[in-house]
Amino acid sequence: MMEEATKASSPSSSSAAAAAAAAGEEEEVWSWGAGTDGQLGTGRLADEHLPRLLSLSLPSSISLLACGGAHVIALSSGGRVFSWGRGSSGQLGHGEAATNCLTPKAVTSLEGYFIAGVSAGWSHSGFVSDTGCLFTCGDGSFGQLGHGNLESCSSPIEVSYFLSKHVDQIACGMRHSLVLLKGDPNNRVYGFGSCKRGQLGPTSNRTRSTSLPQAIQGLENIEIVSVVASGDHSAALSSGGRVYNWGRGFPGFSDVHSPIELSSLLRIKQIALGWNHALVLTDGGEALILGGNRHGVLGNLENLGLTNHRPDVSALVLERVPGLDGKKVMQIAAGAEHSALVTEDMEVMTWGWGEHGQLGLGSTCDWIEPQRVSLGHTLPDHWAKCSIYCGSGFTFVIRSRTSSGPHQDD
Amino acid sequence: MSYDDVEIEDMEWNGELQAYTYPCPCGDLFQITKDDLRLGEDIARCPSCSLYITVIYNAEDFADAAGKKSLEPSKQQPVAVA
Repeated sequence: MMEEATKASSPSSSSAAAAAAAAGEEEEVWSWGAGTDGQLGTGRLADEHLPRLLSLSLPSSISLLACGGAHVIALSSGGRVFSWGRGSSGQLGHGEAATNCLTPKAVTSLEGYFIAGVSAGWSHSGFVSDTGCLFTCGDGSFGQLGHGNLESCSSPIEVSYFLSKHVDQIACGMRHSLVLLKGDPNNRVYGFGSCKRGQLGPTSNRTRSTSLPQAIQGLENIEIVSVVASGDHSAALSSGGRVYNWGRGFPGFSDVHSPIELSSLLRIKQIALGWNHALVLTDGGEALILGGNRHGVLGNLENLGLTNHRPDVSALVLERVPGLDGKKVMQIAAGAEHSALVTEDMEVMTWGWGEHGQLGLGSTCDWIEPQRVSLGHTLPDHWAKCSIYCGSGFTFVIRSRTSSGPHQDD
Repeated sequence: MSYDDVEIEDMEWNGELQAYTYPCPCGDLFQITKDDLRLGEDIARCPSCSLYITVIYNAEDFADAAGKKSLEPSKQQPVAVA
């Protein structure tokens, strides 16, 4: 059933990798999956079923990526922002709502700032500077930009509500955004945008969306260290490794209009949300999944006749991700309907929905257990660092190792 | 098998596509036209993949094509797809 993954992927030499090597760092960027909006950075408007080594023309190494519905935001180690993919709502921040952008282009209006965090939602984007300023752009139809109106904008605009506050993180979902503040011990988590499914916590009845940031009730006195949003789901991680989630119910469960602590004795260090599932990673390097038995069987559980009632989210059970043979997991990532992880020996594995090649296995098959992705001919342990990122229907990997010598940037 | 059930009020009118749309997990948009709705169709398909959603709507709202504009959101901007 499976094609041989290494045959068709023969990577061409990468100018970006060569440039990075000259600066003392060896870096590879790979992508695969849905690509008809240019989000893969391949320069083509086509899906890729096998990982492609990219030749992105970026001035320096990438410290992190944010992948959205069909666009990608890259943050350079020098605090600069580049974006590509679908831009029809202005989510690329280039100052014009272009249909799509095939290669990385700098978000020039942010060049006066050192950007420290980025997030890509379905069709909007968020940027946080090292000084705690928050900027958003893209689709604002549901108030998800936080500017107090339903306007869309194609250049990042500072969210004035937070002018006197220090924003630490932004997380963009399908139609909502979450913000984590630094310092304030009580009202640390804010949200704006669509709230119909409870994704902003408790709101008055019949409120469908809010365009001004409001504090998420139910997280007071909990030290939150990260916020996550995807689809209509919201989640937060506490410094003690506890997971809180709210928003749309996972398959078979009702919506949750107030943050609920996930019952688990394990200490969690990372959360990744899909549109119908969640992954968590424990301190001990174990990957667990919520709603996972649905993978590869897309559709309503109700339609399958599997549920007669909708239990509360507190009944949700975390299941161990199967097929890892005790291997420790370093990082997890979730697309809308697929999942990915990096193991301790720098191997990349994927599973879930595969119709657009988002699993990078050379086919369009779905897999219910993690499968190893082949990335070129270098051995995985050649790399010191391997990071994985999922957009709705696509996947990116960045691998790097630093050789001795001073590091240059921008 | 339907991927999801979505109320028409949660779909966005896209002037360019002349269709109500909703995000598809593949990155494209589920789409259904007013003509479809008028004919009683309740399946919105994604042009890029095999998935489809079931649209929940009141058939009477679309029965008479000409004068019904109440469901068309005026403030929302069109979202184009490639």
